Amino acid sequence: MLNDKNIYKPIRAKLTNVIDESPLIKTFVLVPEDKFSFKTGQFIELSVDGIGEAPFTPSSSPLVTEKIEVTVMKTGYVTEYMHMLKPGVYMGIRGPYGRGYPLESFFGKEVLILGGGCGLAPIRSLLYALEGIKDKLVKVILCYGSKTPADCIYKPLFDRLNSTEKFEAHRTVDKADEDWNGSVGVATTLLNKIKINIENSVAVVCGPPIMMKFGTIRLLELGYKENQIYLSMEKNMSCGLGKCGHCMMGEFFVCKDGPVFTYAELKNTPDIWK
Amino acid sequence: MQYNSFTKEEWDKTLEHLLLSYTIFASIENEFGQDYELIRPSDIARISYNKPKPATSLKSFFLPVKENVTSERVDEKPRIILGIPNCDIEGLSLLDEIYLDNEYNDIFYRKRREDTLLISSDCIGIQEHCHCLSYNIKPYSNKNADLAVINLDGTIVLRIITGKGEDFIKKIPAARSLEDKSVISVIEKEQLATETLLATSNKGLPDYKKTGKLVSEAKAEIWEKYSTRCVSCGACTTICPTCTCFLLLDKPGFEKVKQMDACQYPGFERVAGGEDALFELHNRFKNRYMCKYVWKPGKFNSFACTGCGRCIEACIGKINKNEIFMELAK
Repeated sequence: MLNDKNIYKPIRAKLTNVIDESPLIKTFVLVPEDKFSFKTGQFIELSVDGIGEAPFTPSSSPLVTEKIEVTVMKTGYVTEYMHMLKPGVYMGIRGPYGRGYPLESFFGKEVLILGGGCGLAPIRSLLYALEGIKDKLVKVILCYGSKTPADCIYKPLFDRLNSTEKFEAHRTVDKADEDWNGSVGVATTLLNKIKINIENSVAVVCGPPIMMKFGTIRLLELGYKENQIYLSMEKNMSCGLGKCGHCMMGEFFVCKDGPVFTYAELKNTPDIWK
Repeated sequence: MQYNSFTKEEWDKTLEHLLLSYTIFASIENEFGQDYELIRPSDIARISYNKPKPATSLKSFFLPVKENVTSERVDEKPRIILGIPNCDIEGLSLLDEIYLDNEYNDIFYRKRREDTLLISSDCIGIQEHCHCLSYNIKPYSNKNADLAVINLDGTIVLRIITGKGEDFIKKIPAARSLEDKSVISVIEKEQLATETLLATSNKGLPDYKKTGKLVSEAKAEIWEKYSTRCVSCGACTTICPTCTCFLLLDKPGFEKVKQMDACQYPGFERVAGGEDALFELHNRFKNRYMCKYVWKPGKFNSFACTGCGRCIEACIGKINKNEIFMELAK
């Protein structure tokens, strides 16, 4: 029996706070007017009234339901308007959509997270979710690369993770500045520094397409099997409902069949890194 | 299969009576060709029966070019669409799979589907680019329309296909069961004659069992060569009975307007960061073939190309997809 819900209608959410993360990145704290929850890795369609709508994976904990945080880089038409918003206004939310991370299949394993750039936003949500189930995990290692030290968001997150049992976090930058004394190089170079039992681990890759591509290649070289690698794909998800066709990637609607896929599922699909 | 018959006069009077409670669209020939028109009483005698095929595909009745999908829908009179070729009926199956999906059904599409009675028309004769049979679709409907009509020298015969069609017929006083069973063999003969025409006209054209493999294995040069005549106008997708892609536009008050869109337009897959998997024209051109013959058939049960041939007729660059398939099959 088909339900009578209007799938296109957003719910209203009050913008209660805007946090500056970097010159180009802000986190929007939203309190939805209706009941709203999501699973980590799922995405929402967030709209600026009368301007437009774009897909984002929340950066907040899926265990917190009274508010939702979305971290947005100013990079296009809708996000430029988003960056002008001040607390008190209402935004529109549709979703959550798609298939998130299959956390149950991480149980008993070591979880390696390879992230780059703005990919840290959805990763933060995943890290919160993993903290919630850490009793069931062996360990969690985050390897994150940003262009410059200034481009790295959520800096306190790294110290917090490093002082959390079973968690460790590593950072690198493509280009150092005077104050930086950490690693220099792309995110995959961090993989040489960590100890992980690859056979009993899963890898999560989230970041810009170029980093996803080389990250996946490196993980395969290290011995990860195709079905041990989880990719969070990004396409132009316009409707989120598996209808509008904008996010079609081979046989998949990224919005409905993804956005989280194993590399095994995608390896025969053309142009996945574009 | 149950059949009902009317004299043409009785049928025309029936349609006139039905206009009081239904909005009727039917295929009509005018000075520009043949297309669906809104029927007024004076148009009834002009309705064209069994001639392929309306210029516009059926999808425009269910997926308007533009509609506000957040406002409340006003109830409209139920509709009858008369004279639908089977290529379009089969095209609607894919739309149903997409828009009446269990998880996310589109209430606007659904309401239109529920409020519309589909009367298919058996094609007698073919048009230049008709090739439904190559894709295993008959030029007459036996499953997805509610009723099918054939006009045999002044006798209108209606074939009842669905329960909705049967309920509709029950309410028509002039309807009576077909007594003269020899008429059925005349209908079957007409159907077979059209099938023979299609088979002859499309001899050598790769069928639906081969199209997917041919497209996925085609070399890049094919798409580069044929796309030099493509101007990204989107006519092929607009006219296609199974192309359904759209864009959601935002209006003040969190309103959303759903507008038909197409992968043939530049920027269709562009994301804010600038990546665009379909940036190059030949990639967009290829995308449509991959979608219709490889990806949609892998994902859905319905056909994503029903062989109506409209994309060939609509193309201002005179790109003929059947020529491409013939070349691929060489």
